[in-house]
Amino acid sequence: MIKTEKILHLKSCRGRKVRVVREHYLRERVPCYSSLCQADCGNDGKLLPGDLTHYVVPDAGVVLDYLEILEFRELQGVVFTQTACQALQSKGRRYYNRLRSLLRDPRHDCVLFANEFQEYSYCPREKGESQERWQTRCVYSAAVWYYNHLAGMMNIVMITEDRVAVDQYSSLNSGVFVVSLQDYLQDFWPELAAAHELYASISQALQEKEGEGTEREYSEHLPAEVLEAGIKSGRYSQGTLNVSKHRAQNEAFVQTEDLSDKNTDLSSGVLVFGGKNRNRAVHGDRVVVELLPRSEWRGQVTSLTEGQGEDRSGEDSRSKPMPTGRVVGILQRNWRDYVVTFPTRDGTQSQTRNSQRILAVPWDRRIPKIRISTQQADTLQDHRVVVRIDSWESTSLYPNGHSVRVLGRAGELETEVQTILIENCIHVPPFSEAQLREMPVNSPEKPWTVDPTEAAVRRDLRESHLVFSIDPLGCEDVDDTLSVRRVAGGKLLELGVHIADVTHFVAEGSLTDLEARMRATTYYLADRRYDMLPAVLSADLCSLLGGVDRYAMSVMWELDAQTLAVHKVWFGRTLIRSSYQLHYELAQALLSGEQAVVPELVGLGSKEKDAKLAQLVQALETLTHVARQLRAQRDQGGALELEGVEVRAQLDEDRNITALVPRQPLEVHETVAECMIYANHWVARKIQETFPAQALLRRHPPPRQELFGQLVDSAKAQGFSIDTRSNKALADSLDQAVDSQDPLVNRILRMMATQAMSQAVYFSTGAQPQDQYYHYGLALDRYTHFTSPIRRYADMVVHRLLTAAIEVEKGTGPGKVPGSNKEVEEMAHHINSKNRAAQRAQSLSTALFQCLYFKERDAQSDPRCTADAVIYSIRDNGVLVFIPQYGVKGPVYMRNKDGQVVAPGPDGRCEWQSGSVRRFSDRITTTSSSGSATFRLFDHITVRISVLSTSCHADSLNLEVVSNEPHRGAQPEQPRPQGRNQLVQEVVRLAEEAQEKAAQQLPKLSREEREFRQSKTPNLYSLLEEVRELALMDTERVTQVCATTA
Amino acid sequence: MAGLELLSDQGYRLDGRKATELRKVQARMGVFAQADGSAYLEQGNTKALAVVYGPHEMRGSRSRTLHDRAVINCQYSMATFSTAERKRRPHGDRKSTEMSLHLKQTFEAAVMTQLYPRSQIDIYVKILQSDGGNYSVCVNAATLAVIDAGIPMRDYVCACTVGFVDETPLADLCFAEESGGVSSLALALLPRGGQIALLQMDARLHQDHLETLIEAAMTACKGVSKVLDEVVRQHLQERSVLSGE
Repeated sequence: MIKTEKILHLKSCRGRKVRVVREHYLRERVPCYSSLCQADCGNDGKLLPGDLTHYVVPDAGVVLDYLEILEFRELQGVVFTQTACQALQSKGRRYYNRLRSLLRDPRHDCVLFANEFQEYSYCPREKGESQERWQTRCVYSAAVWYYNHLAGMMNIVMITEDRVAVDQYSSLNSGVFVVSLQDYLQDFWPELAAAHELYASISQALQEKEGEGTEREYSEHLPAEVLEAGIKSGRYSQGTLNVSKHRAQNEAFVQTEDLSDKNTDLSSGVLVFGGKNRNRAVHGDRVVVELLPRSEWRGQVTSLTEGQGEDRSGEDSRSKPMPTGRVVGILQRNWRDYVVTFPTRDGTQSQTRNSQRILAVPWDRRIPKIRISTQQADTLQDHRVVVRIDSWESTSLYPNGHSVRVLGRAGELETEVQTILIENCIHVPPFSEAQLREMPVNSPEKPWTVDPTEAAVRRDLRESHLVFSIDPLGCEDVDDTLSVRRVAGGKLLELGVHIADVTHFVAEGSLTDLEARMRATTYYLADRRYDMLPAVLSADLCSLLGGVDRYAMSVMWELDAQTLAVHKVWFGRTLIRSSYQLHYELAQALLSGEQAVVPELVGLGSKEKDAKLAQLVQALETLTHVARQLRAQRDQGGALELEGVEVRAQLDEDRNITALVPRQPLEVHETVAECMIYANHWVARKIQETFPAQALLRRHPPPRQELFGQLVDSAKAQGFSIDTRSNKALADSLDQAVDSQDPLVNRILRMMATQAMSQAVYFSTGAQPQDQYYHYGLALDRYTHFTSPIRRYADMVVHRLLTAAIEVEKGTGPGKVPGSNKEVEEMAHHINSKNRAAQRAQSLSTALFQCLYFKERDAQSDPRCTADAVIYSIRDNGVLVFIPQYGVKGPVYMRNKDGQVVAPGPDGRCEWQSGSVRRFSDRITTTSSSGSATFRLFDHITVRISVLSTSCHADSLNLEVVSNEPHRGAQPEQPRPQGRNQLVQEVVRLAEEAQEKAAQQLPKLSREEREFRQSKTPNLYSLLEEVRELALMDTERVTQVCATTA
Repeated sequence: MAGLELLSDQGYRLDGRKATELRKVQARMGVFAQADGSAYLEQGNTKALAVVYGPHEMRGSRSRTLHDRAVINCQYSMATFSTAERKRRPHGDRKSTEMSLHLKQTFEAAVMTQLYPRSQIDIYVKILQSDGGNYSVCVNAATLAVIDAGIPMRDYVCACTVGFVDETPLADLCFAEESGGVSSLALALLPRGGQIALLQMDARLHQDHLETLIEAAMTACKGVSKVLDEVVRQHLQERSVLSGE
């Protein structure tokens, strides 16, 4: 027990003027985390490399204000001091957590030095010394210690924004260079332009902040103690602020978390009305609200506004007054990067104090305008820019922010796609060099081969089993294969599901693993895909391609050939060689006995070919038989699938855009899906039994009954009754609700049912009671994801758990103990949120492409812009419709802004006339001088689709009723998936053409744009091009200026 | 709750200790000549004075007399100036009474009371400065005082508190840690036999963690006992040098 000297540390909390004495222990040996260390420090974990030119020690002030710059991965050898760290901690937990994750990230070259616990680098605060000075002094003494500790082998640079300190310390001859941040960036990183820009933008924002006015726009937030006491006593309630999408100016809801029984009226959330009551809270913040007196409560507006989309929470009528409150404090800001658009400078914009301050409009309507100080206001006009909010003082109407990077001109395809990614917090940089170095090599010169030691431990299925895969045509990442055969003289069936063994290649904690964990899933956008794993794994080594040896993770059941009762389950790692890489259509053709060409068999002699073909067909038939039986068994056991729902959910995960376009329903789809569900279920059972408190499973909570209201009402209007009491009853009644006249009715009802469903989520078994494990959609007591490790990180976690479980079973003990319940739960949360982001990004990109598609067409003349639509919901001043042809949902107004209503003429043509609108539960009636018209639920009408362009937000589709008759020549059952792909392709082609044209006229591609396009690689040519473009852009501006002055 | 970070990623606590390290313990025995035994003990910034009178015949109500062993009478109090805010009531409040009772139980387990039938041993402990771990400091100080009085004990009684943060047990909590929402456990140990004289915890803790926590507490107590042993030996040496002259 080595104990060091104790030094008293005086502290007095000003609040109550209490003098607190704290001990402070110093020690001689504090790890320096440098690989140059001579003194044999107990360094473990991340080390600073020894081959850098210098280490940099930022001052507390620099860390506080410019942490973002230090986050650049290019800056290497950053030593954060404990002093700076603590200063950051007092600024806010969020910032501190950011620094912590930075320190943990092995891709960043930075360490934390506990300077205040080091005997020689610690300096006690002197009497009368200001905190800032003391912090600077501490950091300096830490820097000096570093220099001496490394015996002068490494240059140490300390950066501070304190001019006095620069003068004072640089004159001392201690071997440490003291410079300001600006000088540091200029001298050491002149080529890192992004950092320079960020520096300029932040320092500008900081300067502006000092010159703030004093008139108060908002009431002050209450101090944290008061809030805490208020929450405990029940005076206030806390929750997450959710700004309404359609009335972002006024309406926001706080979803309260503490649902105690005494105030059940708060369970639906608290309404926060107006900007003053919202009191500077931004969408997503955790806030504390105080309820207003009951007399000031108000209802929510439910008529359609000139926004877009539909809101699910919309009640049928102008809803009754609900709890209304005001925000009194903010517990946790949840600011992220926002995309804003700089407005066009039209001269009329009033510039109050400084012409460089611009109010930029965020892309997300729920975010208030952000005030940005910038020097580049002119060049950034109509550009989309990533910004961060710095602060929001009570004296300012809008928050202050600074720009981080420029995405490009608004309206361009590339810009818009990047915008969608950033708005959903999706970061998909290209895989770094270091990550790719971790990957095994498979090239023609150096083909990848099976490692003999691996082959010895794995069960070899290459010769004994007929393994094949069934996937969509042209699929690159094959992560599941199947096998089936008869054993024990035909009495038993051996069914095998073999999944790509990704975790063999991706070690836990490796760079690739970290990156995959961060991405959590592969992102599918309408026109592109961002992989979770590098292509060498996802499309090659992990992909279970035909005819090559691959590692796999297998589940094999021995089933009774007659009853299909499970005799034995075997989990383990295997070595397989897939014999056939089939696609669905081919497999179905083989099954139904059609003549089909199997590519793997083309080169063979006819006899051999026939034999092999027979073998394959037999395997497929057995498999289908097994799948049918499995399904039937589950049906008998009372378990039942909401088949429509689950199929649709899978569709969403695929890149198919419209959830309702039915995939050509082949039985093979179901067969494969059934096998996968079976495998997932058994793996879930295995890991849950082995690790009862820390297994990652997936549950699907039963939906809230009140959400079915719309579905039940709509069905009633059509004469069907829907029973929602259980999943079985629901599925049965949905099956019966078929209108023989109009097949769309059933689809729309199913769509509504899907909407009422809660989302399936991942969770850790230790965090939920066992009766909550249930998967409502699949009707299974335990379920997880195991079968797609190439594109989902959850599956990789499950693979690792399964590996550990197998080791436990073998008695070798888990080589690596899986994470604790807390870690697994955190992981589950992360994956859930990333999955939601991926879904949102996917639907946004779909909407983007729809808009771009219709933007090219003239709404009045082009026949493609007129389509058949079905009414599926009635609102106060309009209806919501679904257009099956394009898979678009949207509102149609029956009354426009001028108070005119839709009046159909004798031939069904509709025009705007003055009149009134009446709304009933199942219909809406417009009355005007030319008579009245009624629109009922599930009526077919004809709408015209046009694009509502806005410069700042995403474009949206505008639907206008043309006629109350079904669209002539409408073919509602047109299979459209191909059409959708065509749409995407066409938009991409048009965008490319436009870009080429632009490039010919004036090369307008900004440098940022080039930087963030994934495919391009920087080379000398592009560098030269850049220089040329810059020059061109300047001249262009000169001409512009001339034009305006002339 | 956004509180202080009690254990940093580097494994340092608020005051610079590692998880298993104790605060600095300093002690002196025989600080009062008037009493039969006395000791002063500092454990970090928690400072306590312990005084022992006895064994002597029963005072006050004779009815409490035990015929086979001695009665141990403990009184715990805190100086008005011991905490950051001035204390109104130095002794006799609910907390002090409870603490007195705990001390009594602890020492009844350690002192060989059967050697002194029909007599009484008084142990008075006063906290002069409070900075967490009051109970354990009192026990440690009182042990020294009892030894100073020459009353036979089975072993040293050493006490220590441990807390549980981020799946790691923290030894010897200071005030900031105690008030930072840590579930803490106090343990008094007879280190040589490894017998537990008293175990007290009134926080929530998962059952799975209890064993590791007790393990850590025992290690910490053994650490304390080493220091106490050293203090006693040094004291004896000084005494013998003095009396030898």
